[in-house]
Amino acid sequence: MSLLGKSVTQLRKLIEAKELSKSELVDYFKKRIKKYNSSLNAYLTVNEKESEDKTGSLNGIPLAVKDNFCTKGLRTTASSKVLDKFIPPYESTVTQKLKEGGAIILGKTNMDAWAHGSSTETSDYGPTRNPWDVTRSPGGSSGGSSAAVSAYLAPAAIGSETAGSIRQPASWSGVVGLKPTYGRVSRYGVIAMGSSLDCPGPVTLTVEDAALILKLIAGKDPYDATSSPFPVKDYVEGLNENKKMTIGIPDEYFIGVDESVKSRISRCTGILEKMGHMIKKIKLIDPKYAISVYTIVQRAEVSSNLARYDGIRYGNDRTYFGEEAKRRIMLGAYTLSYGYYDAYYKKAQKVRTLIIEDFKKAFKQVDAIIGPTTPMTALKLGEWEKYPFFGEVMDVLNEPAAVAGIPAISVPAGLDKNGLPVGMQIMGNYFCEGTILNLAHQFEKETDFFGVVKKGLENCKD
Amino acid sequence: MICRNKKPSSSLSKNISNCYNADMKKKELTKEEVMHLAQLANLQLTEKETEDLQKKLSETLDYVENLQELKTENIIPTSQTTQLTDVFFKDGVQDKRILLPEDAVKNAKRKKDGYFEVNKIL
Repeated sequence: MSLLGKSVTQLRKLIEAKELSKSELVDYFKKRIKKYNSSLNAYLTVNEKESEDKTGSLNGIPLAVKDNFCTKGLRTTASSKVLDKFIPPYESTVTQKLKEGGAIILGKTNMDAWAHGSSTETSDYGPTRNPWDVTRSPGGSSGGSSAAVSAYLAPAAIGSETAGSIRQPASWSGVVGLKPTYGRVSRYGVIAMGSSLDCPGPVTLTVEDAALILKLIAGKDPYDATSSPFPVKDYVEGLNENKKMTIGIPDEYFIGVDESVKSRISRCTGILEKMGHMIKKIKLIDPKYAISVYTIVQRAEVSSNLARYDGIRYGNDRTYFGEEAKRRIMLGAYTLSYGYYDAYYKKAQKVRTLIIEDFKKAFKQVDAIIGPTTPMTALKLGEWEKYPFFGEVMDVLNEPAAVAGIPAISVPAGLDKNGLPVGMQIMGNYFCEGTILNLAHQFEKETDFFGVVKKGLENCKD
Repeated sequence: MICRNKKPSSSLSKNISNCYNADMKKKELTKEEVMHLAQLANLQLTEKETEDLQKKLSETLDYVENLQELKTENIIPTSQTTQLTDVFFKDGVQDKRILLPEDAVKNAKRKKDGYFEVNKIL
């Protein structure tokens, strides 16, 4: 039996039917990691002492986890040499829930150092390569997670997003990436970047798998005061309703977007319209302002969060910070300084209110908002240096949802003129993960993502 | 300035360069300001890094000036997006997440008798 490309849901069924043993499955992925990881650099650490004593909704499912989730006893670096030898003495809530659900942590995936970047190239352990074309970036910062799923070095992975770090690499790697509402999933034990923005979420081959994993990891956590008590729905059950929706398309999300990306997205919205959904033009605040809000807020939070790395309690000292981290710490320190706070931080938080109000107004008229995930498809490694503000520019279409804290999912929308995956994102109202998962699932059933996921798997045969 | 000196090479950079107003004032950080910030942030910078940051931080500050185009009088700033207020937990010891002293200092390079060792301050 070939396991290549089987979804988490399919693998679960095989395990339940005893057609596949848990150890067989782990061995299968270990073998693939051995075969492909040296060329992709998706994993930084492979877990050699995985246990499999728990049973739950992910019974026996091996998963990859981004290296900014603390895993007790398993090295966690956030791809920075500051934490080169850091062995967490405690477990993050997300990985705790995964383990209690029966999942097996295969290893920890590469990322931009401290999640500062959008190409995995700021990693102190070398860039991850895109399985679609190893001369290209898989996106970032969760690039190791998205490449691992795209190359089937794990059937699914956990990533984290501050602004685009799940959706953008999912888009560039031709897989599904879900950024939940802020506070839907606990941040406890996740190495913090922007604490008012950070959201853990799944990277998967199918929408159903994203729903399944979200259901397990979502919920109020006593250890994260910003996690929400809003009830967790059965997102998998919710997929089967054939809801007809009103979908908003904001023109502002198509300005400066590559023609071949634009044409794929119009093709997709055309399909959704044929399926009986209503397409409605809407107006949203230009995403260029979200870039500024995000830049100020995130760097302020970075400067505060990275202050704890002093080399005293754990890790190396501050001389180990890379260029990008230094730059962000310094800008954050500046905008939070006496005399500048009002002009920058407070102004940004006020515009953040405008962006939130803008989305709230839009969601009175529509159930979901659709646009491209990224303005262009995967760039060549090294190309990021040609773009000043590379991360912010690549994530321009992801930043509004991130600063507002609303959920969004990126799904494959076909290939561009160079044969690289294009991503379409569906944004939803606060805690309406069920709605965007439902629409994404309907779209997947109708299009099979134009065969993108399957084609991606051909890049790394058994 | 990010796109001013370069010819826009793609539609994307054209879009980004549109973000600027021609009459926008330029923010230049002095070398002293950068060195002061580095001191506040406890970062050691080389001469080259200081110069580089002077340029890059100024570019970023220039970029975010576009927020001034939006009116925000009487707008309440947002610091929490999901409207949570007054989150409390029961006072007392949180047994579940207590770290044993040996675990707490396990990752420290310098430790003594179960404590972190630091340089003398006074």
